[in-house]
Amino acid sequence: MEATVPDQPQQPKRLYRSRDDRVIGGVCGGLGRHFGIDPVIVRIAAVVLLLFGGASALAYLAFLLLVPEEPREGEPPPPGRGRSAATIVAIVALILIGGPLLLAAGLAVAGILLPLAVLVLTGLLVWWLVSGEAPGGGAGDIARRSALGVGVLLLCFAVFVGGAWAAGLGGGAVAAGIVIATGLVVAVSAFAGGLRVLILPALALAMGVGFISAADADLRGGVGQREYKPASASDLKDRYRLGVGQLVVDLRQAELPEGDTPLKMKVGVGNALLLVPRDVCVASTASIGMGGVDVFDRDNGGLDVEWEDLPSAPENGRRVVVDADVGMGAFEVQHERRDRWDGRHRFRDRDDDGTDVNEGCLRA
Amino acid sequence: MRRPDLPSLVGGIALVAFGTTLLLDQVDAIDLRFGSFAPIALAAVGATLVALGLSRRP
Repeated sequence: MEATVPDQPQQPKRLYRSRDDRVIGGVCGGLGRHFGIDPVIVRIAAVVLLLFGGASALAYLAFLLLVPEEPREGEPPPPGRGRSAATIVAIVALILIGGPLLLAAGLAVAGILLPLAVLVLTGLLVWWLVSGEAPGGGAGDIARRSALGVGVLLLCFAVFVGGAWAAGLGGGAVAAGIVIATGLVVAVSAFAGGLRVLILPALALAMGVGFISAADADLRGGVGQREYKPASASDLKDRYRLGVGQLVVDLRQAELPEGDTPLKMKVGVGNALLLVPRDVCVASTASIGMGGVDVFDRDNGGLDVEWEDLPSAPENGRRVVVDADVGMGAFEVQHERRDRWDGRHRFRDRDDDGTDVNEGCLRA
Repeated sequence: MRRPDLPSLVGGIALVAFGTTLLLDQVDAIDLRFGSFAPIALAAVGATLVALGLSRRP
């Protein structure tokens, strides 16, 4: 007698996030397995889409929240809510098509949705790096891990700013000492389980100190806009200094003596502007950590900029020999103030033809 | 013997090296510029990430 097997209703193949083939949350691994595509191709497509407006970030987040992790061996499949792979793909496609449409319409919700997706994914990645907990579990777990990751990121940003500010105010050696001490503690702790959670904040502190040190930005000297208009050479200080902001030294009304008049300008972060009369020759040297130099429309810019322009003055002429040191920002020399500041932006006058020259050095 | 936690070990050593460089700059023993700071910072971060990756391998 033959045994008869009752007809089983055929279950639709469910879409799962992969547990063993994952880089972040197993989304690409799961999609690849489900559709029979190499997951590497799916990942490459995701990265390419990320470069074209960030659509894959939004899709990735949607998959992460909608698609369950695959069950472990021997575990029953997670209770589904009746969503098949086709439904999920349709929902994600709707989000992808709807997102750009909303963006095109300029609706605020779309402007929030994409940055939010990037923020959530960044939070997950940071928390993964800090704790070793890979993105997984349900939506609640993902939200918790993402929130913790964003919290760590904010903490690191605060530490970065604090380190930069401390270094700019002369406390760089102390901050560097803290980095070394933290490093020693973390390295020794490796033999007792490890203290990975300290690595990222300590790196953020080191980055802040290093950034300001590399720019050689000195933030001592105050914050804001300072403008000096000496009337004579005796009123002229040998050094003008500002921490953060715009420093203007206006020599157009100053009675300068024949020969060289030395001048030093130092700005931590911001703009140093020297204004001179047309009959005065200007010799300039400048050291800029990050930013640019513009001396009578001759310019240079970038990182670690060293500038030297040392023309001779005519016989019995007057020459200002300026040495500028700007951490991050710009050093400019002009005859007339050509840039305007409207409180938010700098802009040049419309009739400015941009052909200023070092006239004082040319006169016979 | 217990195996040391690789990311903590490498991250700690990277921090000590990074911090020492910063300290040398602060006492004017070296002149740190962006040209040298960027590779040092990237090397510290990179070494830590490599150690994290290696620690996840079965």
